[in-house]
Amino acid sequence: MEIHIGDRITNVELVSKDDNKVVISIDDKVYDLDVVMAENGVCSILHNGKSFNAELKRSESGKSYIVNTLFNTFPVNIVDSQAKYLRNRKKDDSDEQQDRIFSPMPGKVAKVLVNEGDSVEAGQSVILIEAMKMQSEYKVKKDCKIKKILVQQGDTIDGDQTLITLE
Amino acid sequence: MIKKILVANRGEIAIRVMRSCKEMGISTVAVYSEADRTSRHVFYADEACCIGPAPSKESYLVIDNIIAAAKHFDADAIHPGYGFLSESAEFARRCAEENIIFIGPSPEAMIAMGDKISARETMIAAGVPVVPGSQEDLQTLERVKEVAEEIGLPVMLKATAGGGGKGMRLIRHKNEIEDAYNTARSEALASFGNDIVYIEKFVKNPHHIEFQILGDNFGNVIHLCERECSVQRRNQKIVEESPSPMMTPALRAKMGEAAVQAAKAVSYSGAGTIEFLVDDHQNFYFLEMNTRLQVEHPITEEVLGVDLVKEQINIANNLTLRLRQEDVVQRGHAIECRICAEDSDNNFMPSPGIIKQLTEPLGIGTRVDNYVYEGYEIPMHYDPMMGKLIVWAVTRAYAIKRMRRVLYEYKITGIKTNINYLRRIMDTNDFLRGKYDTGFIEKNSDFLLKSTYESTKDETEDIAIIAAYMDYILNLEENTPKTADNRPVSRWREFGKRNVLRI
Repeated sequence: MEIHIGDRITNVELVSKDDNKVVISIDDKVYDLDVVMAENGVCSILHNGKSFNAELKRSESGKSYIVNTLFNTFPVNIVDSQAKYLRNRKKDDSDEQQDRIFSPMPGKVAKVLVNEGDSVEAGQSVILIEAMKMQSEYKVKKDCKIKKILVQQGDTIDGDQTLITLE
Repeated sequence: MIKKILVANRGEIAIRVMRSCKEMGISTVAVYSEADRTSRHVFYADEACCIGPAPSKESYLVIDNIIAAAKHFDADAIHPGYGFLSESAEFARRCAEENIIFIGPSPEAMIAMGDKISARETMIAAGVPVVPGSQEDLQTLERVKEVAEEIGLPVMLKATAGGGGKGMRLIRHKNEIEDAYNTARSEALASFGNDIVYIEKFVKNPHHIEFQILGDNFGNVIHLCERECSVQRRNQKIVEESPSPMMTPALRAKMGEAAVQAAKAVSYSGAGTIEFLVDDHQNFYFLEMNTRLQVEHPITEEVLGVDLVKEQINIANNLTLRLRQEDVVQRGHAIECRICAEDSDNNFMPSPGIIKQLTEPLGIGTRVDNYVYEGYEIPMHYDPMMGKLIVWAVTRAYAIKRMRRVLYEYKITGIKTNINYLRRIMDTNDFLRGKYDTGFIEKNSDFLLKSTYESTKDETEDIAIIAAYMDYILNLEENTPKTADNRPVSRWREFGKRNVLRI
């Protein structure tokens, strides 16, 4: 299995697993470990008598992690066959498509700055979203046309909801 | 004597106030908006009442609704917390008219301190140093040049009606005066319909140091020493500590005395805070007074062993101050970090949402003032601050080490927080040395926002890989459905049962 940590790419294999006794190889190094998953996303690992705690924050996709150990934070990405497939396919799609505007967090539409049918330039702001007393502007990445506006001022929106479609 | 207090606030401060009420045997009434039914302050109170829809303007800021709730539940007093109506003279006056005790200063004191120009005049009359500047309206360009000369460049040209950075110009050189004068005036006229400007000396990257004061209804005022609040991002405090690492006993005595004079000048009663700007040469200037409890009040409580809410209630009960100035002695060191639901790696974008997992730090010298719990959805309508982490230790160095420990122990998932950012602040050299001012965040922004990870290829890094890998494998196993109705509720709990509790 290919695993990325920052810019380091490693090959990780599970050699054997018998309850808590786990043998794992990372590149050429073999680790003989005692691994226990505790509640609240904490992984306890004993290695040669040393005790490590790793707090795991798993992304929704289940493949990218933020791992916190004592005073350290590591970004870890698991590249399984599905991720590899997606990665290769992405390369084929020569450039990134942006066909909609959405907000990563829930909030409220403070203002819609464009009308349907408008032609907008790359970097132009199209909508203002308010959450927790802060306003964020959302911009288009490329020159395009506003296809449909699905929300109006004052609407409450969810994270990842499509607000505006582009063409 | 007060028997029942309505807390006209939400979130952590509402709970903070109610905790002291419980200790004093006073019953508590919570008010909440429709978005806050599940906020912990509602469960924590003895009685609770919905006062309107989610937007603050229709709930927490509606004086009539809060007064009606207080009357309905027969509360003898209202504690406003901070924010919302805490500095509304109109609200304080209305409470008085309705024979409800407002736990805070008189409306007159609030008004005197609320307006920046009148506060400045009051302070000058009371002999409290203010930032040097012009006292009159500057009608002509000639006069502006004269005054700028008198005070010495750099100066700040400000609109009297100004606010939010509008109608404000920094003048560093003589040849900038004319341009600044014209643009500031036209901007002020456009924004506020008033083009009166005045000049203040520009203090570059000052320290922001504030003094806690307490005054009773009999004219006694004491100060409770300082809080260092220079770690600010866009004028928002992030980390506060007490004592200030730059403070000396002589300066503390001088500033404390000025703070007491400032409060006496407006016959202040209750808890309040005098904010000062301090330059590198220990010159200090009155900035403003906050006529309420501050977010960062716990560090004063920890260092002095005082419960400020209890003192507020005692003062509202018309008792004389329990403490004399000579009783106020600082012991050890306290630091507070504000925990916010915001994505510090993504331009501090607010991050409301559901808290999936929450483990709060415990242990010696640790205090957590918050209101969230596992499964709670942080609403998008209010401030992103979800709690405060406060540590106390005998020395500053120990306090920083303790803060690093508790920030490590604090685990929240489901939403993004600024905890990693706070951890980096605790690692910043300037902070460790205690040599910082309000330019701290800007100066250290590269270090603080360092989000690219550099591989170390050591054992800890490999452990992190292993932990993620094991979690990934277990996740795969569990998501392979064996029978459709046999999905575990919590995979951690399930795994824990299988692998940890089997002794």
